[in-house]
Amino acid sequence: MTTLHLPVPRLAEATVPGEPILEVEHLTKSFGGRTVLDGVGFTLARGSVVAFLGANGSGKSTTLKCVMGLETPEAGSIKLAGTELSALRGTELARARSSVAMVFQKIHLVPRRTALENVCAGALGRLGGPASISPMFFPRELKEEAMAALARVGMADRAHEKAGRLSGGQAQRVAVARALCQRASVLLADEPVSALDPRAAEEVMALLAELAHEENLAVAAVLHQPDLALRHADTVIGLIDGRIEYSGDISGLDASMQARLYTPNRAAA
Amino acid sequence: MSAPVARLSVPKLPNAGWRITSILTAIAVFVVLHVFALRGTDFEVAALVTGAEGMASFLADAFPPDLDWEGVLAPALKATTVTLWIGLLGTTLSIPSALLLAVFASRTTTPHRAVYQLSRAVLSFFRAVPDIVFALIFVTAVGLGPFAGVLALICHNTGVMGKLWAESMEEADNGPQQALSTAGASRLQQVTHAALPMVLGQFVGLLLYRFDVNVRSSLVLGLVGAGGIGLLINQSIKSFRFDAMATQIIVVLVLIILVDQLSSFIRRKLEV
Ligand SMILES: Nc1ncnc2c1ncn2[C@@H]1O[C@H](COP(=O)(O)OP(=O)(O)OP(=O)(O)O)[C@@H](O)[C@H]1O
Ligand SMILES: [Mg+2]
Repeated sequence: MTTLHLPVPRLAEATVPGEPILEVEHLTKSFGGRTVLDGVGFTLARGSVVAFLGANGSGKSTTLKCVMGLETPEAGSIKLAGTELSALRGTELARARSSVAMVFQKIHLVPRRTALENVCAGALGRLGGPASISPMFFPRELKEEAMAALARVGMADRAHEKAGRLSGGQAQRVAVARALCQRASVLLADEPVSALDPRAAEEVMALLAELAHEENLAVAAVLHQPDLALRHADTVIGLIDGRIEYSGDISGLDASMQARLYTPNRAAA
Repeated sequence: MSAPVARLSVPKLPNAGWRITSILTAIAVFVVLHVFALRGTDFEVAALVTGAEGMASFLADAFPPDLDWEGVLAPALKATTVTLWIGLLGTTLSIPSALLLAVFASRTTTPHRAVYQLSRAVLSFFRAVPDIVFALIFVTAVGLGPFAGVLALICHNTGVMGKLWAESMEEADNGPQQALSTAGASRLQQVTHAALPMVLGQFVGLLLYRFDVNVRSSLVLGLVGAGGIGLLINQSIKSFRFDAMATQIIVVLVLIILVDQLSSFIRRKLEV
């Protein structure tokens, strides 16, 4: 008789769509005296996809990096599930941050490891001790959770495939599964589909939207294609030179807004 | 009739004069260095001509090689096996120390700047001291024999392999490591789950390359008393048994070719 292993419910507490989970206010950051973020503020809510749009250098990546703690803003506040991050230190901060997962343009899987092992690695933050040194020692529950995550992104049949042999779109879905295995409630994706062909891009964006709507995740994705945003995002944040030009419903992303966001030589004009 | 080809005068290279001067200076320095080097080493083609006679008698003594099984060939094979074992142990037993130092001496994986500087210094030291010097030290410490050779190779190889490994870790794509770092993985977890798997192929390639080199080195180490076929060759030369020496050198050549072939075969397999 085979035992049926049901996917472990990802989140213990009940979650409500629309509940704000990440609240960012007045984020300011400059590099070498040049202001790159100038009072950026926004809210990510469970169950919705926010698209970040803006020209190259408008500060999209820097915004996400500040939230992830990869850059330190000079001013501003970042609240995760109501807790101000700057008030936390050490392990408490690490634990709070572990509820935010990042998805990268360059995907960043380990090509030599299998899809399943890569997904399991998302859980390393809560897996201590010598057992977390090699995939050989990963507990069975973790592997089963990772399998469920792979199934969620439609990659269960490739679990034992080396990540290096997957196509870009498949690899990016495995990377999303890794974020699920991290049990994140916020997913920050910096150009998750910029390296993918149009069909794979469509699939990955559809997956992110599905996870937001069905699993109540808060998703923020930096995109360079407004039409992808129109099809998959619920709200949009448009950045111009480190300032928020537009923040609101996706219906506001009309032709004139797009023209405004991508106007060349704004500084000269 | 062909269309007229468009042409545009090439702008003058900036500071062309300076370029020519610096090239001429480099050539002059090169020539002067070689004059000193030739003098310093008593380099004389004439000596080679007058020495030709000695060489001829040496070769005449060496051929035909003495293939006597009992007295020459069997001991040569046995000693060559020892040489191989020295090379093997010298390589594999230096893996733990080389790995640890490589992780510490790579900017992407080191736990601290001070650890980084210290491990770099340790690696430089072990690399700078030639294996033959280590062999001389260990021969005085643990006595003549292959064990001294193994110890010498472990020391020198730790330095070289650790440096090569650290370099390949620094050059590798550290994106997966950053990804795990943002997922909350500890430094050690980042190393074992991202940094090391990313470079495993290169590591094994470099390991095989070092094995190849170490087998050759262990031959030379034998000459200073650290066991193996080198010791036998040394004895043959000292007792003017050049025909036995010829046999020993042939056996060594076979070993070296075999090891070289094997390691390049495995490296090719790893690349695909
Ligand atoms: N580490 C850094 N040091 C100096 N300047 C930086 C650094 N990181 C970002 N910048 C600058 O900050 C500005 C915003 O960069 P950011 O990467 O956030 O833009 P972006 O909106 O993500 O652009 P892209 O669409 O090209 O990814 C740019 O002008 C960039 O040159
Ligand atoms: Mg960017």
